[in-house]
Amino acid sequence: MTTTLIIAHQQLRSLSRSGTFVLMLGVLLVMTALAGFIGWSSHSTIISVYDETVRTLTAAGKPIPPNPFASKPRLTLLNNMIIYIPLIGALLAIVIGNRSITDDRQAGVMRVVFSRPIRRSTYFWGKLAGSTLAIIVIMAACLVLSAVALTLTNGGLLTASEFLRLVLFYALSSLYLQVFVLVGMVATLLIRSPSTGLFAAVAIWVLITFATPQFTSGLRPVASLNPVTDPATVSSSEFFRATSKAKPIAINEQYKTLSTNILSDVSTTGTIIVAAQLAPIIIALLLLGGTASQLIKRHDFSEEDARD
Amino acid sequence: MTRRAPSRILTLAAHEYRSALRSGVLVLLILAMVLVTAGSITIGSYDFKAQITDYATYVAQATAAGITITAPPQFYPLQLLRGVIEYIQIIGAIIGIGLGYLSVARERTGNTLRLILTRPIRARDLFFGRLLGATAVIATILAAAAIISIVLIGIVGGVWLDGAELVRLAIAFVLGIIYMLLFYALGTWVSARSKVVANGLVVALVVWLAVVLIIPQIGDTMDPDNQVPGGLFAALQVQKPDELKVLAHFSTYETIRNTLEETSLTKHFERYSFAVTGIKDKYNGKSLSTITSDKRGDVAWIAAYMALLSVLMWSGLRRERITQQET
Repeated sequence: MTTTLIIAHQQLRSLSRSGTFVLMLGVLLVMTALAGFIGWSSHSTIISVYDETVRTLTAAGKPIPPNPFASKPRLTLLNNMIIYIPLIGALLAIVIGNRSITDDRQAGVMRVVFSRPIRRSTYFWGKLAGSTLAIIVIMAACLVLSAVALTLTNGGLLTASEFLRLVLFYALSSLYLQVFVLVGMVATLLIRSPSTGLFAAVAIWVLITFATPQFTSGLRPVASLNPVTDPATVSSSEFFRATSKAKPIAINEQYKTLSTNILSDVSTTGTIIVAAQLAPIIIALLLLGGTASQLIKRHDFSEEDARD
Repeated sequence: MTRRAPSRILTLAAHEYRSALRSGVLVLLILAMVLVTAGSITIGSYDFKAQITDYATYVAQATAAGITITAPPQFYPLQLLRGVIEYIQIIGAIIGIGLGYLSVARERTGNTLRLILTRPIRARDLFFGRLLGATAVIATILAAAAIISIVLIGIVGGVWLDGAELVRLAIAFVLGIIYMLLFYALGTWVSARSKVVANGLVVALVVWLAVVLIIPQIGDTMDPDNQVPGGLFAALQVQKPDELKVLAHFSTYETIRNTLEETSLTKHFERYSFAVTGIKDKYNGKSLSTITSDKRGDVAWIAAYMALLSVLMWSGLRRERITQQET
């Protein structure tokens, strides 16, 4: 247990000493602030547009339509985070996974570590614990900033239920990002060249983030970047009715659906449905974790420092 | 005897290309791009075929009911490139950044730049050599995507492109090469300026996010009419004249939003390539000179970005040279 913690600590210190951790924290905090600002700006503009529409229609003696935003939950101001996390968050998680192996390889840390009576599984758990902790700290900071931003923009403290939903959203995001840390680790362990390993991990990210939604829903790559999806842009053809059967195993789609439900205050979702939506993410984590553990066990650490 | 400049540039370009080939990066990127291109065109073709089937069903029902039949959906084969162009917009930019990062990381970990600098190499040889090498790598990746596009439009889409369409496809892909090169320059510049090269990659990815997602999103998502699926004014059942009256009160907001959108390189790449390939319906059947004249603003923006990023890459390489010499 102590050795695992030492390795986790070394992983965190390595990320922190190179400035990578602070940089990632800064980036995600800026993204969180930006998501809040864009959400607030869009929302206040649209309310003004609605008010102006009401004035114009009243002057013309026309009927007044109901405000489509009247019952919009307050947490939806952060909807852009559902897009930012699978994009920049996942890419940064891949970099963490890649660096966790590459830095040790290039500095010869692995050879030193395994000259000691340390089990390879201990090394794996230490690495996993270190990266998990890094992700949790970053997500916790984003949670605090989100809570502050929502309090300021809504002009009042969050309710206990809203805060709990926010915690759930960031917990889910931590799980999702951990998948990509493991993708980065596995690709780097499988491929000797660190940069090819990094590109391979990015290729898997492309597959998960863009190619799968296009296959299962006909959602074009750019449409995947918009938190508001126009039903007209999602095809309902026979082809997509067939391919949509693969949706339950698409982790990106499940993450987006779950996150949207959490932030939109959808309380009708049953436990079984939530479990089914969460299952592909958990399964991906277990599979990737098992693969990374096996690769570390079988890896030849007597090799020379990895270079491109 | 000192070698002539073009020869030195070609040698450096060949070094860049061989490094990408030997490390397996080139093969991996070709495979990834071919895979998403093939998937995108196949899905687009099946979607169109499904629309035709739906139309045939509608015609049968409308004929039986005695209703006037609307025109069938038009098939323009180059429109199947939409997904591919969008992939270049998003992933092509990441590939460009990654290649720029890689060229700096490779020289640093392998110490090859120090070795190169023991030879009579000038800064401009290094600049043009790397640029030419990167152009060759990116051109190989996009050429593979272009070939697979032509073949799949023919086989799955059922239409073989004619000469004029092939020229338009070539223009779109050449534009794609320029677009990716701009991100390559960004990746090189930021990585060269970072002590820890991986941090340079993180910074470049943030710039990518701003250029590819946030700025265009400010244009699209912050458009009041894009806030509701199907459009806000459609949801409010407001007619066009009333919509214009309402929006007249938000001219400053709209000006800021449009100005921000105008600064996005991705938007200009999208607008020009969508026009050339006829993905934007109104440009279908128009000559290339008409389209270029109509889109001269986008062309000017792309040219301005090319100038800016050439300066950045030059500065990045100078910095890298100085760092290596000092080390």
